[in-house]
Amino acid sequence: MNKTNERKLTIARAMAEAVAQELRVDPRVFVMGEDIGALGGVYGNTRGLLEEFGAERIRDTPISETAFIGAAVGAAQDGMRPVVELMFVDFFGVCFDAIYNMMAKNTYFSGGSFKVPMVLMTSTGGGYSDGGQHSQCVYGTFAHLPGMKVVAPSNAYDAKGLMTAAMRDDSPVVYMYHKGLQGMGWLGTEPGATVHVPEESYALEIGKAKVVRDGTDVTVVSLGMGVHHAMKAAKELQEQGVSAEVIDLVSLVPLDRDTIRASVAKTGRLIVVDEDYMSYGVSGEIIASVTEHDISVLKAPPKRVAFPDVPIPFARVMEQFCLPNPDKIVAAWAGMQAA
Amino acid sequence: MTPSRDQLHWMYRNMVTSRRLEEAIAKIYLEGKTPVFNMANGPIPGEMHLSDGQEPVAVGVCAHLTAEDVVTATHRPHHQAIAKGVDLDRMVAEIFGKATGPSGGRGGHMHIFDPAVNFACSGIIAQGMGPAVGAALSRKVQGKPGVAVAFVGEGAVNQGGWHEAMNLAALWKLPFICVIEDNAWGISVAKAAATSVPRNDVRAAAYGIPGHHVEDNDPYAIFEVAGEAVARARAGEGPTLIEVETYRLAGHFMGDAEAYRPEGEKDGLFAKDPIPKMRWRMLTDGTATETELDAIEVESAERVDAAIKFARESADPAPEDALTSVFAA
Amino acid sequence: MATDIVIPSDLWEEDDETVITAWLVNDGSTVEEGALIAEIMTAKVQYEIQAPASGTVHIKEDADAVVAKGTVIGVVE
Repeated sequence: MNKTNERKLTIARAMAEAVAQELRVDPRVFVMGEDIGALGGVYGNTRGLLEEFGAERIRDTPISETAFIGAAVGAAQDGMRPVVELMFVDFFGVCFDAIYNMMAKNTYFSGGSFKVPMVLMTSTGGGYSDGGQHSQCVYGTFAHLPGMKVVAPSNAYDAKGLMTAAMRDDSPVVYMYHKGLQGMGWLGTEPGATVHVPEESYALEIGKAKVVRDGTDVTVVSLGMGVHHAMKAAKELQEQGVSAEVIDLVSLVPLDRDTIRASVAKTGRLIVVDEDYMSYGVSGEIIASVTEHDISVLKAPPKRVAFPDVPIPFARVMEQFCLPNPDKIVAAWAGMQAA
Repeated sequence: MTPSRDQLHWMYRNMVTSRRLEEAIAKIYLEGKTPVFNMANGPIPGEMHLSDGQEPVAVGVCAHLTAEDVVTATHRPHHQAIAKGVDLDRMVAEIFGKATGPSGGRGGHMHIFDPAVNFACSGIIAQGMGPAVGAALSRKVQGKPGVAVAFVGEGAVNQGGWHEAMNLAALWKLPFICVIEDNAWGISVAKAAATSVPRNDVRAAAYGIPGHHVEDNDPYAIFEVAGEAVARARAGEGPTLIEVETYRLAGHFMGDAEAYRPEGEKDGLFAKDPIPKMRWRMLTDGTATETELDAIEVESAERVDAAIKFARESADPAPEDALTSVFAA
Repeated sequence: MATDIVIPSDLWEEDDETVITAWLVNDGSTVEEGALIAEIMTAKVQYEIQAPASGTVHIKEDADAVVAKGTVIGVVE
């Protein structure tokens, strides 16, 4: 996928580059969040911005998420284009009203006369034993609530294009990046996330899924870290003579149901991989999107590889037991054959 | 109110035990994380927030508490847990994620819970406030003895939940004390860059309750104001707010390069390390002998060694036990 | 003329080894002097490695390799 002369970036750098490029051309853009200034973001995604743009546009905030996310809503409605960071998505509990009752609804409440063009970027994911208040994904929670677009990149190319698109969007976009893909070595890093990123500014269309691997026997749908698990499982399955197609959702809202349906229509089998809790979430939605459309395409009941419905445990053995991984995807295929 | 000789020795013992524990954890934490620092590796994975330097706050307050009093702590809870009397062996086992931890490895170092001494934690900033206020409400409504203390950092005072809880405690005149450990830094952001007033004790006025400020991490002064606050709470006179100027001798978490600190700040803080200061003061005013303090230091180190040994030798939890304890049995 | 890509000795004080967390160019890429070509990490801090010269990069130490200060991790020629 990478040609010789193409530079690569980590997701952290790709995010920072997209934000910097918009900051250069759009004076309405500014960034707010905890430790996003001199520290450059706990996950590196605002590195270098303070130095180039100064403290007026790159604002460290107090630990006051309700206030600064609410303030972003107000600033966005008043014509600015804030990018705000919620350091861990787990912290949404202290500030969700600003997010789902205002950011997400004010466009609708105002009959479209108010726009809320802001980006809420937030880190997701576990796997490094950070306990149950610092390891969650809660993709489904955000995607469930109407009025906000929700994206989740699995690699640096998408990360940059999605960030640019999110910043240019007139609607609020929740940008959920996985800590294990950031390119911060201390969180471990999935090398597959560091890919070629063009230097020029570009935007991806929000709401398009990607078929990242063609196959004919089973469709594996995932997002973020799960895409990398799915790709590894697909390789393993290939050795067993099974051809797996892998879909990277990229966007949860809008959800590209057509791409999923077309793939399952071809393969007849569906496995959904989601690091979020199993029930009432992304995995159920993907399966429903297929079955309510045309259940006859399925040659076997769909399977999900998702986090069980328990808080995320600290102990390494327990957390790893719960998390999706390539082996569980391969096992899901085997379970489908046995059924 | 001055601490008795016994109370001073108790305070010193708990400060030293806490420090020895943090030093031991700091070493063990790096096992498996060198040369490549990946948080997921080693016997203690995940984030690690150490309390070195903040011990005086925990002991100065907890010297007035008994097991029946309630404490809620933060993401940086070890010193408070020790001072509150949480069983050290089991606490360290939880930090290691072992089956013998009080949560069987489900919680980890930011989630230490011990009902025997009414101790609980939250890793979310300021979110120990509501539960502490609720415990105080429960005691008042049920006519049961005991006060509730919420330890928070200075950053927590900028959270909405902090103010809501303060108002509730004052409105309902609850036996509640909020103790702010002002270690001057919220990760990389200095207090002055995050908080609109230099001292948070002034915020007590907003709730019509007493506010106290303690300078320079002084365990004696902390003991004194905490004593007043606890007596007031026990007498049914309502809540108190205390802010203590303390020092974070460690980084925000293990591995923090602390590039945001001004040059020389750490050296200055270490020069004011409260443990040697308290030792010197007790020897000077004759409240302890060298032999006594040496014995406390040896015993504290042995106690920590024993707890580490217990934790290391304890079994990992069964992986499938992750699926249990979600609901009350 | 080949110019070594060396782990600098002045980025951190101790003699800790470092890990190459990412190569941001492919083996055989053409780069300009000063271009960001790799990231390394010591403890929890990341550092940047820039191309010491313009030319073609040949990677000698792959990502995830643990190396000492002064190690030649590649060359530009």
